[in-house]
Amino acid sequence: MTFIDGVKVNLTEEEVEKAKTLLGRDPNQVEAGMIDVMWSEHCSYKSSKPFLKQLPKEGPRVLVGPGMDAGVIDINDGDVVVFKVETHNHPSAIEPYNGAATGIGGIVRDILCMGARPIALFDNLRFGKLRSNHSKWLFEYVVKGISDYGNCIGVPTVGGDVEFDDSYENNCLVNVGCIGLARREEIALSVAKNIGDILILMGGSTGRDGIHGVTFASRVLTEESEADRPAVQIGDPFTKKLIIEATLEALKTGYVTGLKDLGGGGLTCAASEMSGAGGTGVEIDLDKVFLREENMIPYEIMISESQERMLFVVKPEGVDKITRIFDKYELSYSIIGRVDGSQKVNVYKNGQLVAQVPSRMLSDPPVLNRPVKRPSYIDQLAEVSAPPTPLNLADVVYKLVGSPNLASKAWVYRQYDHEVGDRTVIKPGQADAAVLRILGKNKAIAAKSDATPSHSYLDPYNGGAGALAESCRNIAVTGAEPLAWVDCLSFGNPENPEVLWCFNETIKGLTDYALKLNIPCIGGNVSFYNEDQVSARVVKPCPVVLTVGLIEDCSYITTMSFKQPGDRILMIGLTYREMGGSEYYTFYHNIQGGRAPVVNLDLEAVTLKTVLKAVRTGKISAAHDCFRGGIAVSLIEMGMENNLSASVNLDGLSDLDLKFDELLFSESHSRYILTTREEYLNDIIEIFTQNNIPVKEIGVVTDSGRFEFEYKNRRVSCSMSKLRKLYYETIPKYMGVTEWMK
Amino acid sequence: MKIAIIQFPGSNCEYDALHVLKNVFRQDTHLVWHKDFNSGDFDAVILPGGFSYGDHLRAGVIAAYSPAMRHVREMAAEGKPVLGICNGFQILIESKLLDGALLQNNCLTFVCKWVNLRVETTRTPFTKFINESSILRIPIAHKEGRYVNTRRRIKELYDNDQIVFKYVDENGFESSDSNPNGSMDNIAGICNLDGNVVGLMPHPERASETILSPYKTEHGRLIFESLIKYFNGGR
Amino acid sequence: MKEYTVEVVIESKPYAKDPEGMTIMRDLMHKTGYERVNSVRTGKFLRIKVSAENGEEAKNYVVKMINDLRIYNPVAHTYSIVLKESTG
Repeated sequence: MTFIDGVKVNLTEEEVEKAKTLLGRDPNQVEAGMIDVMWSEHCSYKSSKPFLKQLPKEGPRVLVGPGMDAGVIDINDGDVVVFKVETHNHPSAIEPYNGAATGIGGIVRDILCMGARPIALFDNLRFGKLRSNHSKWLFEYVVKGISDYGNCIGVPTVGGDVEFDDSYENNCLVNVGCIGLARREEIALSVAKNIGDILILMGGSTGRDGIHGVTFASRVLTEESEADRPAVQIGDPFTKKLIIEATLEALKTGYVTGLKDLGGGGLTCAASEMSGAGGTGVEIDLDKVFLREENMIPYEIMISESQERMLFVVKPEGVDKITRIFDKYELSYSIIGRVDGSQKVNVYKNGQLVAQVPSRMLSDPPVLNRPVKRPSYIDQLAEVSAPPTPLNLADVVYKLVGSPNLASKAWVYRQYDHEVGDRTVIKPGQADAAVLRILGKNKAIAAKSDATPSHSYLDPYNGGAGALAESCRNIAVTGAEPLAWVDCLSFGNPENPEVLWCFNETIKGLTDYALKLNIPCIGGNVSFYNEDQVSARVVKPCPVVLTVGLIEDCSYITTMSFKQPGDRILMIGLTYREMGGSEYYTFYHNIQGGRAPVVNLDLEAVTLKTVLKAVRTGKISAAHDCFRGGIAVSLIEMGMENNLSASVNLDGLSDLDLKFDELLFSESHSRYILTTREEYLNDIIEIFTQNNIPVKEIGVVTDSGRFEFEYKNRRVSCSMSKLRKLYYETIPKYMGVTEWMK
Repeated sequence: MKIAIIQFPGSNCEYDALHVLKNVFRQDTHLVWHKDFNSGDFDAVILPGGFSYGDHLRAGVIAAYSPAMRHVREMAAEGKPVLGICNGFQILIESKLLDGALLQNNCLTFVCKWVNLRVETTRTPFTKFINESSILRIPIAHKEGRYVNTRRRIKELYDNDQIVFKYVDENGFESSDSNPNGSMDNIAGICNLDGNVVGLMPHPERASETILSPYKTEHGRLIFESLIKYFNGGR
Repeated sequence: MKEYTVEVVIESKPYAKDPEGMTIMRDLMHKTGYERVNSVRTGKFLRIKVSAENGEEAKNYVVKMINDLRIYNPVAHTYSIVLKESTG
């Protein structure tokens, strides 16, 4: 902790010196606050930036890459897709309802300020185990917060995942993603490039929200006590809905030259980044900012993170027209300043200049080169001896299907309006990814956000590559070609070299598979310091990847459920002894260790392309990524929707002499399960053999009411009705719900 | 036929209804901001789904005081077709154009799922050309959709043939399992005495194209088609 | 033991936004002519009946319970508590 002009800042001595040098003098209180917030890890990415450079960011479809509020890709015919994932971990851990709600609010603003209409939301949630009341409380209210906010603004929540692990007991992870749709010419940028343009702050009022992270020296402490301060931000989806409509209407006028939402860093961030990007400067008159609380000082106004605010840069002749639109929606706004050529952020209060900082000093802060070190636990954990194979494997299957990580998440997604917008062709639970059609055209996009922290924990490189691989597999099975992805990386304290080593390995894994498949990363978010304050326990690293793919013809769209008895089942890919981080090890045996699945980059990429080719023949009746819970659980998931089962023989699915449990539950990559009608069987097998992809017909879809697995003359048989009960009732039971719907 | 879809602050299904009426049925359909709405030249009006005024206080109650509702009331009195979908139904209830109350679902959470509806009467413009007792697969998405009224008033709804849709199972039977929100008598939609004002919780505009249906159905179409036939001389 | 009625009101902290109260005031009350309304704050109201030896104990019991069970979240909310006369 360091002090500047009586203000406590989270900067090192070196950073403070650097700031003084860049400014050419000592910063005053307001400037110190502005520098502090913009040079914080949250806004500056100062620890992660050197590593993030590795990621491939370019491609023919990329219109806007990392660095803006969200990435933009071309999906043909002048249509573009905008997307991004962010975390709202810390606010959600203390106030799950408003923390999660404002997380949705923030990601929606990121998409909106690129000029796109938000059309879909995703959530990837991590909590402690459900036997803990605290975890249940977090889970219930995070879901409620997302539900109330997303439903109200009319953006469907169509995908994501939920996992429970002790490492998230106090530091839950709330990753939220959003996809927007626009025409190419509608894309707006966060830039203030024309001197003389007017700054209009629109939306919610400014209060002391989000200033809790920074404490004051006695000199600036105001009268009310700390307890009176609102420590959390309150979500206001109704106002947000009006902001969405008003913003899109304002953009259509052509008078808006730049647009930025106010999130972390508040007005300071919006003003400095827009003028920094435009090579201009801004003058801001704080007397014009619409305040909600009394006696706010310039320091507070400049760093407030009050929700639901947008900063518009408008041509002077368009101000009337734009403000008439805001009037129509009865949104508050005020003209707070103008763009100038000073290359500085100039802040006035009562006619006095109270802060003057070069824009780029704020928007382009110095990076840190922190050390990395391979943690010793990685090698220790890899060497775990295999547990004895349980005698009753059917019982293991039941236990896994009823494990909260693998059981149906219908309790979550039934609370989300996943249909509003009339675009959702594939809905939650029907396939591995969501599919949204583009209205008026015969095309659709598929998208899925994934993370496998239990693998990342043991092997961050393959956990990273695996998250991207899984997310690509999940959209390919629906018939979509992966085009681009964004990531959201939640890790512990970056000042710990072991945490940072894991971070770097994750980026390397993501980079290598992205290069292999040739799909760019167009944006991302990093969340550090995810640690349990009490036990100082670090969360399992959680790289979330959201991939978007294009379906050029809606007839390609395929779901994962078995369609009819008699359909033949094909297993694509080989199974290895890769039990580390599997649900079988962690949930059934309570083993934290073993070797996590390895991504064979070449095989993974070519398998994906071949599966896509097969799905697009229209001869595949069901397609599913074979991953969490292994072959056993993946097959069972395919039977749930239509209450169909399967009878399969698993001989010859591995080059190794696997035990029955290993074959059933290993979570090796590059595997898929497909079904097809008997008459197409040879055609489909041919597609795979031509490309040297392992393929084997393993059995048939049945309506016998039993799942039968056979291997080396041993048999495991499970009752469908029992499996369905476990699959659908586990989570509602934990949540104390008796009245609920599948 | 000229149809208006009223946009209240917080409506969010107006574009979906517009898409279906304009692109699927090629009808002359207009989105109208609530303050600008004037009944004059419209033949029918739709109050779309969403969260008008954030559902604050009670779903639909604040929108019921919008000046637009005076014009809706006039249209209702003139016998013009008025359809309230989801939040639109809640607004019709809060405006007293329809009778009863829509309370929080029994499960206390928002519920989004496909349900089966049975058509209880064909006396409304929206059901006139659907076979009575047809089973329609249409999704719901709401938190406050539990229809409640006094027993006496429910009996009057039956006596006056004002119950339009009920939640049923796949075979058309009413059961508690097929009732997604705990509505009395499984009521999903009702009409006024004259039958021209209809409100329902499910979303027919989300079920009017096979591509959107998990069952490859398009039962929501029937409701809009009925309205169109009604105007094309089928009154 | 007697039965006591304890009333608990939970609302957002005084300086936090209350979008619901704001909408009710602005879009319902003010627009329909009730312009003298200066502020509306919404909250949750719980009327709890509890057995206790005396009023003080009843109140303490409820305070402990609403903290234990996270019936309000101290980070976001404040509560006020009123002991009504004995009812049992």
